Amino acid sequence: MSAPLDIVAQNVLWNRLISVCEEQANALMRAAFGAIVREAGDLSAGVFNADGQMLAQAVTGTPGHVNTMAASVRAMLDFIPPQDLSPGDALVTNDPWLGAGHVFDFVVVTPVFMGAQIVGYLASTSHIVDVGGRGWSAEGRSVFEEGVTIPVMRLRRQSALNEDLLRIVTTNSRVPHEARGDILSLLTCNDTGATRLLDLMAEYDLGDLNAISDFIFDRSRAGTRRALMRAPEGVYESALRLDGYDTPIELRASMRVHKGRIEVDLAGSSPSVDRGINCPLNYATAYAAFGIRALLAPDIPNNHASLEAIAITAPPGLVVSAERPSPVTARHVIGQALPDLMLGCLEQALPGEVLAESAGALWTMSLSGAGFTSLNVALGGMGARPGLDGLSTTAFPSGVGAVPVEAAEVAAPLIYHAKEFAPDTGGAGQYRGGLGQRIEIGAREAQDLSLSAAAFERLTTGPAGRQGGQAGAAGRVEITNGTQITDKGIYEIPAGERLILQTPGGGGFGNPAHRDREAVLRDLSDGLISEEAAATLYQHDPNGRTTK
Amino acid sequence: MLRVAIDIGGTFTDVVAETPEGMRSVKVLTSADAPERAALDGVARLLAQLDKTHADISDIVHGTTLATNALIERRGAKTAFITTHGFRDVLAMRTEKRFDQYALNITLPAPLVPRPLRLGLRERVLADGAVLIAPDEREIETLAALLRAEQVEAIAIGFLHAYKNSTHENMVAARLRQLLGNDITICQSAEVAGEIREYDRFSTVCANAYVRPLMSRYIGHLQDKLREAGFSGALLMMLSDGALTTVEQAARFPVRLIEGGPAGGVALAAHVAREVGSDRTLSLDIGGTTAKICFIEKGTPKTSRRFEVARAWRDVKGSGLPVKIPTVELVEIGAGGGSIAAVDRLGRLQVGPQSAGSEPGPAAYGRGGTQATITDAHITIGTIAAEGFAGGMIALDPALASKAVARDIQTPLQLEDPASAAAGIIELADETMANAARVHGIELGLDVAGFDLLVSGGGGAVHATRIAEKLGIRRVIVPQDAGVGSAVGFLRSPVAFETVVSVVEPLSEVDATALVDRLRRVMAEVTTVVETVVPAQNITHRLTAELRYKGQGYELSLPLDAASADAIAGLAARFEEEYEQQIGFTLKDIAIELISLSVTAREKRLRTAARPLEVQPCQAKAQPHIRAIFERSAANPLPFKVIPRESLNGQAMSGPAIISEAQTTTVVRPGWHARRGDQGHLVLERNR
Repeated sequence: MSAPLDIVAQNVLWNRLISVCEEQANALMRAAFGAIVREAGDLSAGVFNADGQMLAQAVTGTPGHVNTMAASVRAMLDFIPPQDLSPGDALVTNDPWLGAGHVFDFVVVTPVFMGAQIVGYLASTSHIVDVGGRGWSAEGRSVFEEGVTIPVMRLRRQSALNEDLLRIVTTNSRVPHEARGDILSLLTCNDTGATRLLDLMAEYDLGDLNAISDFIFDRSRAGTRRALMRAPEGVYESALRLDGYDTPIELRASMRVHKGRIEVDLAGSSPSVDRGINCPLNYATAYAAFGIRALLAPDIPNNHASLEAIAITAPPGLVVSAERPSPVTARHVIGQALPDLMLGCLEQALPGEVLAESAGALWTMSLSGAGFTSLNVALGGMGARPGLDGLSTTAFPSGVGAVPVEAAEVAAPLIYHAKEFAPDTGGAGQYRGGLGQRIEIGAREAQDLSLSAAAFERLTTGPAGRQGGQAGAAGRVEITNGTQITDKGIYEIPAGERLILQTPGGGGFGNPAHRDREAVLRDLSDGLISEEAAATLYQHDPNGRTTK
Repeated sequence: MLRVAIDIGGTFTDVVAETPEGMRSVKVLTSADAPERAALDGVARLLAQLDKTHADISDIVHGTTLATNALIERRGAKTAFITTHGFRDVLAMRTEKRFDQYALNITLPAPLVPRPLRLGLRERVLADGAVLIAPDEREIETLAALLRAEQVEAIAIGFLHAYKNSTHENMVAARLRQLLGNDITICQSAEVAGEIREYDRFSTVCANAYVRPLMSRYIGHLQDKLREAGFSGALLMMLSDGALTTVEQAARFPVRLIEGGPAGGVALAAHVAREVGSDRTLSLDIGGTTAKICFIEKGTPKTSRRFEVARAWRDVKGSGLPVKIPTVELVEIGAGGGSIAAVDRLGRLQVGPQSAGSEPGPAAYGRGGTQATITDAHITIGTIAAEGFAGGMIALDPALASKAVARDIQTPLQLEDPASAAAGIIELADETMANAARVHGIELGLDVAGFDLLVSGGGGAVHATRIAEKLGIRRVIVPQDAGVGSAVGFLRSPVAFETVVSVVEPLSEVDATALVDRLRRVMAEVTTVVETVVPAQNITHRLTAELRYKGQGYELSLPLDAASADAIAGLAARFEEEYEQQIGFTLKDIAIELISLSVTAREKRLRTAARPLEVQPCQAKAQPHIRAIFERSAANPLPFKVIPRESLNGQAMSGPAIISEAQTTTVVRPGWHARRGDQGHLVLERNR
C-alpha cells in the first residue's frame, strides 16, 4: 500500500472519478437509439466502491435514473453476491423495483477486478426503445402486460456474451436490432469506465478505493448536512392533487427536518391504481430527493453519502410505493410530481425562497399509425422563481428536451401544423410562470392514428402559484372531431383529423399587481398575455401609464 | 512584396507584416467605435517603419471579433424573422431543455429577434421536400408593408425543411427584394446553414442577418480606405474554421467569422507543428481567464460544424446561441492565470471558472484583487519571478500573493505552509486542463498520449511539462514569440470555402446519380469562391460524409474520395469499420443513414514563413542563476537553473530549469530536457 494521498490528490481523484462517469454517459448517449434518450440524456452512469456504494455519477442524466441507480447496485448484488462474480462478468436487470421504475430501463453492473479482487463496480442505465408488452401506454393492468422483465442475471459470463438472454429481449421487442444495440452499449460503456478506473488507480498507485471513498463520503455527508440545515427544523406537510388515470389522485407528504437530515413520509397518498401510472418507491425516492437537493444542496455531487441524508418512506401499495405486479410504465406521471410536493413542504420551512409549481410530468406523445410509432414530448412551463419568471416550455423536474420538428417528421409520416407559445398559460405573478405551448399534429397520409394519452397530466388543475402568484393554466388536449381527452387511455385520431395539445403553464410567484410594469408591457407587446389578462390580472391600465 | 495580417481583438489590434527579411509587428489600441481606424493606423505605422507603401502589399489577411461582439453586446441590426406559420417561437423555445439539472435559476439569452418581429407566413414543405402549401403572393405583400413600417434593416427567412427544398425561401426572398429594394439585408436559412434541425438553422440565419449590415459596412469601409491608400492586392478574411475567404463571401456570411481570432491562434499552432514535424499535436493556449484546447492532426486542426456564441449562464454549454458554421473545434475551460482558487463548502479545493482577469487581476498585482489566483500560486512557489513580469510592465508584490494563498487555501485546508497550498492550486489547475484534454481526446477517438503538446498564451509554458506528464505526453513545443499569434496564424492559413449538403436518407435508398450531380454543383460553387483569389491549379477539394445508424443521434465523419457513385456505395463498409473501432461492435440489420456531405474547396499549397520571427531583445538583464521552487512531490523547494531563452541553443539542457523571456516562463521539470530548434521554437522532451 502506498503512502496516503494528501488532500489535493484526493481532491483531484474525486474530480477524475466524476469525469470517468461523464465519459461513460457520453459514450452511451452517442450510441443510443431512442430520440428521447439522446436528446434528453435519459440515462445514467456511475462508479461504485467494492461495497456497492456509489462514489460518483455523471452529471448528465435525469433524476429518475441518476438517483435510482445508486441503490440498484447493492440490490443486484443481493441476488448474485460478489464472491460468485468472475472477471469479465456483467449483471443486468430491467426489473422496475430494482432498476429505474419501469421495464424500459435496463441497468448493467460490471465488477472491476484488480487481480482476483473486486475493487469497485461500474453501472449504467438507459431507456430501451421497446421491450414488448403494450409498449408505451398506461393500459397494462399489471407489470406482466408491460413487456418482458429480466431478473438479475449475467449479461456476460467471463467474456462470453449471454446470447440466450439477448435473444429473449430481441424476440420480445418491436425494434429488436435497436434493443440489442442499446444493451450492448451499456456493456461497452461500463468496460470503458472500468479501464479508466484501473488506469486511474494505477496512476495513483491505489490498491483499493477505501481511502477515497472515506474522503468523498465524509465531505459529502458533512456538506449535505450543513446544506440541509438551511431549512429550519420542524415538520412540514403538503398535498397535491393530480388527474390520475380517470379519477383524481392525492399525493401527501410529511417532511421532518431534523439535525441535518430530512425524512419524508408519503403516507396518506392514494393507493395504487390498476393502470400503468403507478410509481415504485425507488423511483419516487429518486424524484423526491431530487426536489429537495435541487433547492437546498444543488452543488453537492451525487453519491452514497449525499443521498443518504434524505430518506423517503411510504407504506407499501400506494401510488408512490406500488408493489409488484402493479403496472408502472408511465410511472413518471407520479414520480415527476414529487419535487413539487417536496417544494410545497419546503415553502413552509423557507417561505419566499421556493419556486412555484411546474407543469410536472413530461407529456409523452406516442402516436402510432401503419408501421410506425412516433415518440416525442410536449413540454409545459416551469414555475416562476423567486426573482425570475419561469422558463417557458421547459420541463421541470425532468431535463428532457423535445425532438426537433424536422427530425420528428423525417422519422415518421406526421405533420406538425403548429408549435407555438400558448398566451395566458403562464401563472400570473410578480414573476410570471413559464408558458405552455400549443401543438397541432396530423398524419401526413390519409390514415387513422392511435394516441396514448398515458402521460397527459394536469388537465384539470393547473400548477399552483406561490406567495400570491396565480396558478398556471391547466393543460388541454382535443381532437378536431370534437373529442376531448379526459383520461390517460388510448384515443383514435380518424384520418383527416388533427390532435391539438395545449400544455400546462407554470405557476406564478408573488402578487401580479407588483409585477414590474415594463415586464407587463413587454409581455403584452410580445403577445404572451392578452389585453384582458393585463387588465384583470396585472391591473394594467392601457391609458394610464403610457406617455406619448 | 509584403503580406500583412490584421487581428482586431477586444483590447488590442495587432498588425503583422511578413517581408522576405522577416516579420514585423505593431500593437495599437482597438478603436471600438470604428474598428477600421485602428487597423488602418496600424498598417500605416508598420509601413512607415518598413519604409514601404500600400502599393507594396500583395495581400492583407484579416480577422476580427466584431461580429462576435455585436452578438454578445446586442449591437446588431433591427432584424425580422419570417418563418413557417405556427413556428414563430422556435427561436425562443430553443431545445426546451435545462442545461443544468440542479441549477434552478438558470437564465437563457433572449432571441435576437423579439416576438413581434417573428412573423409566420402560410407555407409548408414536408420532410421529403414535397410542397403542402405554397406561399401566397398577397400575404408576402402584407408582410412587406409591415416590415417597411417597422423599418427593419435585416430580414432572416427560415422555413421548415428548407434544407431539403429551398424554393419557398428563394421565392419569398426574391419578392421581398422587389418590394423592399436593395438596401435591406435578406438572408435565407438554406443558404446560410442548410442542415436539418430547425432551431440551429433558424438561430444561424438570424445571427447572420443580425450582424450582416454592420459587417458589410465595416468590410466595405476597410476595403475602400485601403484602396484609397493605394492598396491593390487581395483582402481576405479569416473564417472560424481557420481558412481565409474573400470579402464578398465574408460580407455575405459574416456569422462564419465569429471564431476567426481563436482560429488564427490554432492556425499558427498548426503551422508550428508542421515546422517542427509534429504529426499529432495538442494545442493548449492558456490565457488570463481561460484555456483553449484543440487537436491538430498532420498540421490540420480538428473542425466541427456547430458553435455557441454569447453564452448567458456562467459560460455553460447549452446557454448560448447556436450557430451552424464550420469552426475549429476548440474546447474552452475556465482555467487561466487569473482564475480564482477557493475552498468550497465541501472543503474541496476549486480553481476557476471565476477569474480575476487582468482587472483587478491577481492579488500580487496590488490593484484591488484580493483573492488567490493561479498566478499568485506561481509567484508563491517561485515559478514566476516578481522582477521582469510581463516584460516589466506589471509590478508584482509576492507578499500579497502569499498572503492571499495562505488566507484562502492554506488555512481552510490546514496545510503546512503557503507553498504547499500554492502547489496544490497549481496541481489542480494542471489536472483540470489535462482532464479536459483527455476527455476531448476520447470524444474524438484520439489517444492523447501519442500527441505532442504545443503551448501558447502567457500561461502555457508554465504548466506544460506537468500537464504533459499527466497525459503521458513526451514532447512539448513552446513556439517562438507567440505574442501576436493569431495575426501570424492568419498568414499561415489557406484560402478555402465549405458548404454542406443535407441528405438524411438511408444509404441504400440514396439516388447516387442525383447526389453526385448535386455534389458537383456545390463543388463548382465553392470553387468559384476560392478561384477569385487562388489559381485553379492550386485548388483541391475535400468531401466529408456524415453517417450514422438510423435512429441514433451521433454521426461519424468519413472522408469521401470522390464525388462518384462508387465512392458513395463504398461508405457503408467504411462506416461499419469505423463504428467497430470507436464503439466496439457493429449492428447488422440496421440501416446506415447518410446525414450530410460537406464540400470544401481549398488552396493546395500553403504559404510558408519567410524567416523565423524577429527575436525581441531581452529587457530584463537576467543572469543565469539558481532559483528555489517548491516541488509538490518532494514537499520541498528544489533548485531550478534560470536561463534566458535567447541564450539557449541547439544543445539540450536538462531540468529542473526555468527558461525566461519577456511574455512567458517555461518550466522544465525534473526528468525533462529542453533545446531551442532552428526556427527558435523550444522543444522539451521527457528523458528516456
